[in-house]
Amino acid sequence: MSETDPEVILEAVNLSKSFGGKPALQDLSFSVRRGEIFGLLGHNGAGKSTALGIFLGMVEPDGGEARIGGESVQRRRERALRQAGAIFEAPAFYDYLSGWENLKVLMSYSGGFDADAAQQVVEEVDLSDRVHSRVSSYSHGMRQRLALAQALLPEPRLLLLDEPTDGLDPEGIKWFRDFILRLRAERGITVLFNSHLLPEVEQMCDRVAIVRRGRKVYDGELAGIADDHVKLEIEADPAGQASACYRKLGGRELEEGRRVIFPEGTDPAEVARALIKAGVDLRKLIPVRRSLEDVYLEVIGCLDGEEGEQ
Amino acid sequence: MKLFLIQLRSELKKLFARRRTYIGYGAFLVLELVILWVFHLDGPREEIAKILSDTGLEVEHYYSALTVTYWMIGFSMAMLGAIYLALVSGDIVAKESEDGNLRMVLARPISRLRVLTLKYLAVLIYTVTFVWFVGVSGYLMSSIALGWDGGLFVWNYDLKVFSFFPAATVGIGRLSLSLVFLSLSMFTLSSIGFAFSCLRIKPASATILALSVLFVDSVLQMLPFMAPYREHLLTFRMSNWIYVLENTVSWAKLAENYTFLVGLDLTLFVLGWMAFKVRDFKT
Repeated sequence: MSETDPEVILEAVNLSKSFGGKPALQDLSFSVRRGEIFGLLGHNGAGKSTALGIFLGMVEPDGGEARIGGESVQRRRERALRQAGAIFEAPAFYDYLSGWENLKVLMSYSGGFDADAAQQVVEEVDLSDRVHSRVSSYSHGMRQRLALAQALLPEPRLLLLDEPTDGLDPEGIKWFRDFILRLRAERGITVLFNSHLLPEVEQMCDRVAIVRRGRKVYDGELAGIADDHVKLEIEADPAGQASACYRKLGGRELEEGRRVIFPEGTDPAEVARALIKAGVDLRKLIPVRRSLEDVYLEVIGCLDGEEGEQ
Repeated sequence: MKLFLIQLRSELKKLFARRRTYIGYGAFLVLELVILWVFHLDGPREEIAKILSDTGLEVEHYYSALTVTYWMIGFSMAMLGAIYLALVSGDIVAKESEDGNLRMVLARPISRLRVLTLKYLAVLIYTVTFVWFVGVSGYLMSSIALGWDGGLFVWNYDLKVFSFFPAATVGIGRLSLSLVFLSLSMFTLSSIGFAFSCLRIKPASATILALSVLFVDSVLQMLPFMAPYREHLLTFRMSNWIYVLENTVSWAKLAENYTFLVGLDLTLFVLGWMAFKVRDFKT
C-alpha cells in the first residue's frame, strides 16, 4: 500500500501517454474520494478513455501512476482491480452465450461465480426475465444492464463507467442514472463517470475534471461551478455603451452579448444601476444559473481563444 | 488450482459454444465419407490391392477399416485439419480482441499471462479433441463400411515407412498411439496460429499467416535441392507421427523430434505472450 489518504479511492498521479508520438494524456492528476461520483469530461479524443484504460491496466502509461484504493495499478494490478468494476460504452459480451452464462464466464476471472449473488444482482438490474436468453437477442439497454450486473457482482467499491449512457433512450438513461445514485446512497460506491454528455454529468456528479487534448483544464465541485460566478441575460441598447459598462464591472460577454458573466459576488442590481447611470436603455436583466455546459464551453472556449491569439 | 480449472472450463465453454468450432467437425465427417467412397472405387482399390499383393500381404485381410482409417487421418489432417486448426487458433485471441470481449476480461483482476495460458490450453485441448474426433469417427465409418476386423497396413514412401500389423487389436493400439503423436504434431500448427493471434491483427490475418508458414514450409520440403535440409523443416517434423506406426518404433528419434517441436511450441507461446503483454487495449 502506498501512503495515500485512505479516503481517496482513485488517484491519477501525473499520468502521461502517447500513441505513435502523439500525446493522448499529459501529466494528468486528480483524485476521487470515497462515495464520490466524479465526472471526467472532455470532447471525443480528449484522453478520457485512455485514462480509464490506464486505471484498468489495459493501457500502460509512459509516465505516472494510477492507484485504486492505494494500490498501484501498474505494480499490483490484480490487487488494485479487485476493488473495481467497469462498464464500457458498448459492452462486448459473448453473443452466442446467454446473459447468465456470460456472468459465469466473466466471474470466473474475478474469483468465482456465486449463483445466489448473481440472481440477486440480476433482479436488481431488472434482467431476471431475459437473463437465460442469448445475449445476441438483447437490446442495447439490456446489454447495459447486464454490464452493470457483471460490474457489480464482485462487490466493488469503485465503479469505472466509460460513456455508459451513450445510445440509451431517455427512459434507459434515467433508469441508469437513478440506479447509480441509489448505489452510491445505499452502498457508498465511488464512481468515476467518463462522459461527454454534460446534462448527465451535471445530474449525477459531485465533482468534475475537464480534460482537453490530454491535459486537465478544470477540476472542481459542481456546486461551486453553479454558484461562484454570476451570469445575467441582458437586453440593453446601445450595445457599445452596455459593453463598456460590463467591462468596468469585470464582466465578459457571451453569445454576442446576450449573456454576460460577472465575477463572484457581483450583485445584479449593481449591474442594473450601472447601466442606467451610463444612460443605457435596459429592457431585460435576468440572472441565469450557470450550467455545467456553460462552464465547459467557457473553459474550452477560453483555451481555444488563448491558443488562437498565440 | 481449483480456480484455474474453473477458468479453463469457462474458456472451453466459450470455444466450444461457437458455431465455427463445430463447422470443422461437420466438414471432417463429410471429407471422411468422400475418402471412404474413393476407397470403394475400383481404381484406388486395385492400386492398394496391387501394393499389398506385391509385398506378399493378404489383400482381403489388410484392405480393412484400420488401413482406410490410417489413410483418412493422413489425408484429412494434412488438408482440412490444418485449415481448421489455424482458423481456431488464429481466432482465439484476435477475435476476442476485435469484438471487444477481451476488454471485459482484462478489466478483471487476472493477469495477462494467465489469460493467455488459459487460451493456449483451450486451443491445445481443441487440437487433441479434433485429432481424436477424426481418428475415431474415421474408424467408425470405415468399420461400418468394411467391418471392424482386419489388419493395419501402413505405407509412406517419403518417410520410408512400410509396416503391417496382422491383429486388429494391435493395429487399433498403434493407430491410437499415432493419434497421440499426431496431436503433438498439430500442437505446433496451433501454436503458430496462437502466436499470430496475440499480435494486433485481424483474426483472419492470424489464420492466413499461420497457414502461409505451413504452406511455404511444405513447398520447401518438396524442392529437390532442399532434400539435405528436410529434417530441419517444420512440416517434415510434424509428419514424424507416422514413425509410431513402424513395426519397430525408434523412440530415440521420436523423442528428439518431439522435444524440438515442444520446445518450438513453448517458444511460440512466449513470443505471443511478449507481444500481448506490451499491447494497449483501448476503444
